[in-house]
Amino acid sequence: MELSLARVDYLQVGVTAQKTMRLLPASGRAATQKVVVGDQDGVVTCFGMKKGEPVPVFKTLPGQKIARLELGGALNTPQEKIFVATGSEVRGFTKRGKQFLSFETNLTENIKAMHISGADLFLCASYIYNHYCDCKDKHYYLSGDKINDVLCLPVDKVNSITPVLACQDRLLRVLQGSDLLYEVEVPGPPTVLALNNGNGGDSGEEIVYGTSDGKLGLTQITGSAPVHKWEIGNEKKRGGILCIDSFDIVGDGVKELLIGRDDGVLEIYSFESVDEPVLRYDYALSESIGSVQGGCVGKDGYDEVLASTYSGWLTGLTTEPVHREGGSGEELKLSQEMQSKISSLRNELEHLQMKVLQEREKYQQSSQSSTAVSSVPAFSVNDKFTLNKDDASYSLILEVQTAIDNVLVQSDVPIDLLDVDKNSAVVSFSSCDSEPNSNFLLATYRCQANTTRLELKIRSIEGQYGTLQAYVTPRIQPKTCQVHQYQIKPLSLHQRTHSIDHDRPMNTLMLKGQFSFAEIHSWVVFCLPEVPEKTPAGDSVTFYFQNTFLGTQLESSYRKGEGCFKSDNISTISILKDVLSKEATKRKINLNISYDINEESVRHTLKLIHPKLEYQQLLAKKVHLIDALRELQVHEGNVDFLLPKYRSILEEADQLLEEYKKQPAHLERLYGMITDLFIDKFKFKGTNVKTKVPLLLEMLDGCEQDGLIAFFEAAA
Amino acid sequence: MLVPVFTLKLSHKLVPRTVALGRFDGTHPCLAAATQAGKVTAGGGRQQQGGGAGRSLTASPILLPSGLLNINQAISCLSAGLLRPQPAADCLLVGTATSLLAYDVHDNSELFYREVSDGANAIVLGKLGDITSPLAIIGGNCALQGFDYKGNDLFWTVTGDNVRSLALCDFDGDGKTELLVGSEDFDIRVFKEDEIVAEMSETETVTALSPMYGSRFGYALSNGTVGVYDKTARYWRIKSKNHAMSIHAFDLNSDGVCELITGWSNGKVDARSDRTGEVIFKDNFASSIAGVVEGDYRMDGSTQLICCSVDGEVRGYLPGGEEMKGNLMDTSAEQDLIRELSQKKQNLLLELRNYEENAKAEQNTQLKEADGQRGVIPANTQLQTSLSVNLGSDSQSAHVELCISTTNDTIIRAVLIFAEGIFEGESHVVHPSLQNLSGCVRVPLTPPKDVPVDLHIKAFVGYRNSTQFHVFELTRQLPRFSMYALSSPDSATEPLSFVNCTMNERPQRIVMWLNQSFLLPEDAEFQSAPFQVCFTSLRNAGQLFIKIKSGGEISISTDDIDLAGDIIQSMASFLAIEDLQVEADFPAYFEELKKVLVKVDEHHSVNQRLSADMAEHSNLIRSMLVQAEDARLLGDMKNMKTRYIELYDLNRDLINQYKIRCNNHTELLNNLKAVNQAIQRAGRLRGKYAYWEGTGSPGSH
Repeated sequence: MELSLARVDYLQVGVTAQKTMRLLPASGRAATQKVVVGDQDGVVTCFGMKKGEPVPVFKTLPGQKIARLELGGALNTPQEKIFVATGSEVRGFTKRGKQFLSFETNLTENIKAMHISGADLFLCASYIYNHYCDCKDKHYYLSGDKINDVLCLPVDKVNSITPVLACQDRLLRVLQGSDLLYEVEVPGPPTVLALNNGNGGDSGEEIVYGTSDGKLGLTQITGSAPVHKWEIGNEKKRGGILCIDSFDIVGDGVKELLIGRDDGVLEIYSFESVDEPVLRYDYALSESIGSVQGGCVGKDGYDEVLASTYSGWLTGLTTEPVHREGGSGEELKLSQEMQSKISSLRNELEHLQMKVLQEREKYQQSSQSSTAVSSVPAFSVNDKFTLNKDDASYSLILEVQTAIDNVLVQSDVPIDLLDVDKNSAVVSFSSCDSEPNSNFLLATYRCQANTTRLELKIRSIEGQYGTLQAYVTPRIQPKTCQVHQYQIKPLSLHQRTHSIDHDRPMNTLMLKGQFSFAEIHSWVVFCLPEVPEKTPAGDSVTFYFQNTFLGTQLESSYRKGEGCFKSDNISTISILKDVLSKEATKRKINLNISYDINEESVRHTLKLIHPKLEYQQLLAKKVHLIDALRELQVHEGNVDFLLPKYRSILEEADQLLEEYKKQPAHLERLYGMITDLFIDKFKFKGTNVKTKVPLLLEMLDGCEQDGLIAFFEAAA
Repeated sequence: MLVPVFTLKLSHKLVPRTVALGRFDGTHPCLAAATQAGKVTAGGGRQQQGGGAGRSLTASPILLPSGLLNINQAISCLSAGLLRPQPAADCLLVGTATSLLAYDVHDNSELFYREVSDGANAIVLGKLGDITSPLAIIGGNCALQGFDYKGNDLFWTVTGDNVRSLALCDFDGDGKTELLVGSEDFDIRVFKEDEIVAEMSETETVTALSPMYGSRFGYALSNGTVGVYDKTARYWRIKSKNHAMSIHAFDLNSDGVCELITGWSNGKVDARSDRTGEVIFKDNFASSIAGVVEGDYRMDGSTQLICCSVDGEVRGYLPGGEEMKGNLMDTSAEQDLIRELSQKKQNLLLELRNYEENAKAEQNTQLKEADGQRGVIPANTQLQTSLSVNLGSDSQSAHVELCISTTNDTIIRAVLIFAEGIFEGESHVVHPSLQNLSGCVRVPLTPPKDVPVDLHIKAFVGYRNSTQFHVFELTRQLPRFSMYALSSPDSATEPLSFVNCTMNERPQRIVMWLNQSFLLPEDAEFQSAPFQVCFTSLRNAGQLFIKIKSGGEISISTDDIDLAGDIIQSMASFLAIEDLQVEADFPAYFEELKKVLVKVDEHHSVNQRLSADMAEHSNLIRSMLVQAEDARLLGDMKNMKTRYIELYDLNRDLINQYKIRCNNHTELLNNLKAVNQAIQRAGRLRGKYAYWEGTGSPGSH
């Protein structure tokens, strides 16, 4: 059965964060549910729909940003108490809007994540997890990396309190009391957790997680070890997952999985083949979806999926058909409802416009005074800067609550800005003056009307580091712009992994000197992405990384006064050596650097690169032939006369082109990396081989692996 | 929502902008399009194509059994339509870089084949002005030519640059069509037969033109702009990051007025209202659009809009009927409206809150460090701009300088200038590094052409450590002749070339024009005749003298014929002069032109010689081939081998000669372009068509 849902926009509140909208359980005779939502102005709004009009139940006064909103109540009773987390405080409201709880926690940071189960309250700040029972501090845990979400397995099924933390370092940390029970490795940084089927499945131990790179998975958290059930990749390159819910929207007795993503895509997965969910339906809203829940809001008898978006829209996708078959009379009524809604909105607007005009005049007048000051309106920008593993490029996503007018992108390192198909903004590259203003990239994006979200793709080069700045100007008066900075790190293409292959030939870089643990940690943070800013607990730490482009690896372990970096790629070691010695010199710390270069590693790395190189060269050649072959095909009427290998090119033409388009300049990047490897290999030997680079490039075109290795070994 | 009434898939890759629909047998509509490597597919439709078998004349096309017409040359334009009086069947016109072919698809015969040295970049079919028979008008290298069905050259004129697009439209409402010509010098020119009646300057190469109704027409530029003009006034335009591949006027919502349908390079097709540019319908294809045409493809008496993609995907749309009430999009308009209004409300609320916050900030007027970071600045901060001519230094060439400064201790973090035609892209950014931040930014500008430009300036003003900045927005106009610096008449030598004219205008008015069009350190004032100013070009240091003698005689001395033309045009339009008699002498330029003409002759003779050589060679080849084949049949392998080696050598010679011929041809084209431009430039010296408006006849000259 084809699922067809119609979009209805109910109401707009302020900017909302992740997981801040819930539906109250239906109570009494009314079949429709009330919606409760908390926004970044600190307002909790509760409303229900009556005859297509939102009717407010209550609305609180503005305050601090609301980070989370959850429902709670005594176990085995309807969960209809509303809890919100703002700043370091948790507040509780009844469904009528009466505040019954104001709990000032002892946390020094703002609350980032919250979970409620009966009298148990689970709160997380950036790195800290706290468990309260009846507002009394029970347990505490300090996580190794940022905590994105928290969950507790249902107590009634599991019979013990088992909290699960979703941490930025691609781990789910399962706790017992104040201690770590075990860690669960997941394929990406998890951003959201949910109980499978809303109750954790039959065992109550099943949790669904979503990652910031758009992956989805189910894991069973048993008492001793995790059991991975299924995992769905992100083939369509959609956005990161922000919210998950389970609801039977199809009405077949099995709950579907509802997913909201940060690129505005809402997905419904169904479990047709019992185990693996299958994508049944998707709908694209234009901005990121912070919360999603299934229920009945708009009209009695019609289920729907309600989503809240970044700019505060509460939008429903309802099973209620748009054009009801009840005859034209009802339709007429419907449009009358619309008309009255529109006219009331228009009136409101006119009123506002007058007020704004007055204020504007006042503002203009103040500009005559010499003592008055003029501040700029604060607006919030939702930004995300992440490395994509698939094509080893960064994507920068900027989202503003109102329409964006233009964005200026500036960088003081050479980077490539790639086109993103989804964008409709007109890009213009300005000429740059690298001296004396150190601009390597100046580009403006002039956005079309109603663009609230802009996605940029950036390709960086390892070893060249600096800052990328985005100046965002939205279409609000008085005109203002906000600058956001993003670090391009020296080893920008590396990504954290859980383990590495220890059998590879490794080069080692050893550091010794009078530096503290915090100092060397800050250097590592400076060099590598995805390292927590906070100095890890303990005396020493080891992180593993993988180069997303080449697949080479890096192991970094360090302690006070000593650091050891191992990589099978000489270039990685060379970059680290340069950056670390520069950083140490800046702080006037005397470093004793020693390195151990393994000749075998160069051969190993070349063997790693060469298949990629060969594949890309072949791909380029094939793509080059496609047009000519197609012409032959048209001319001759068939392809029987062609050699099988050419025939296969024609058959695969579309996939080849697609692949070629997906990774522009892939070959050039490979060439660059091989050249770097060549130069770095000899740099450690103290010889400068820059003059031989043209020779190397010449032989890279269609060369054998052995030939390449021989060249590396012969040149000196 | 509007859905396609039919879809089909052609098996060929189509070349963009070469799609046409014709009834080649008089009844059955058939899609014709160019494929890569110089073939024309005339397939589709209900009838089977390709009557006759392939013919073997080398110079003429061959209709392949697969319904393909082989042109053997890259096809640059294609059109179909009625050209002959009898029979009433459409013929196919195919233009390449060197030729134009009129072809009868049904009979598989050619109507005419003409070598056109200026090439055919664009083609349009129809009646022009008072010329009775329909013409196939092609635009090439600065030249326009019109042929009737016999191949007679009935229309010829020149234009300013390479023609990229053509359209026929009743521009002045006199019932006769005028020719619209879009060219690479960013101009849209309107020809009433061979005389220019209007000229509109755009910001990029004009790639497509389409008549809509009356004097209204759509246009598309190579930078992704599409828009609609009514006569010389632009109604609207929009710019996209994609390129408009094809535009067409079609009434999709049945309201009696044509919408502008645009096919984009990303596969999008949209229909926009002719009045506002508002999108009323859109659809997406998997690949770039190759062409948008209309016709009764299904032969059911209704006209469909037909869109083709480069991959050969074809979709046809029927205009929306009454029941759709002009609502062709899938989302309901009311929902959209509510969303839009609500967004407006939010924006206003936000603005209101900003003022409130501002009032709060005013309570404590003391500026603090933290305030600076948040972007609080004194309310009386103003942004001052000035334009001046900078004569340059050793490290920097001469330029126009835009100086932007604040009035207090605030700094300018960055300056964005949006302007058309003077930067590589549409914007220029100045972003000083942290240590070079100050309250004053100097931006060097070097407009490549003498056109007035609006500079839309956005300056980010705040403090050194601010993360939020105030955006000051203002617009300055760069005068048309800003690249000319005032110099003293004594030091300069007066150029030999000049244009003289007499205007019945007060000299004060001319001085007013001068003040407005040049960047003068201070406004010039007219005291008494004779009045003289002298300028130096910042581009090539050429001199420009403008003299006003008593009796209203004006003399402009410059060696740059383009500049003289621009000045006359600008002056005439400022003073609203319709017709201006001028006297001009450009000895240096004419000397050059003479040289060019000599060169053209030379190239022609070289060309002839090469052609003769080629004919000779082909005879040789024929005899050699016969000999070689004879030898093969006789089993004389040795002889055959030598013959074939000789043949191979000859072939190589031929290829070399062909290369020479090609080079010769390009040079010839360049020279011809120079000649064509010379005619055009000379035309511009007369203040004839500069500012012509209204519906009456413009009068003859």
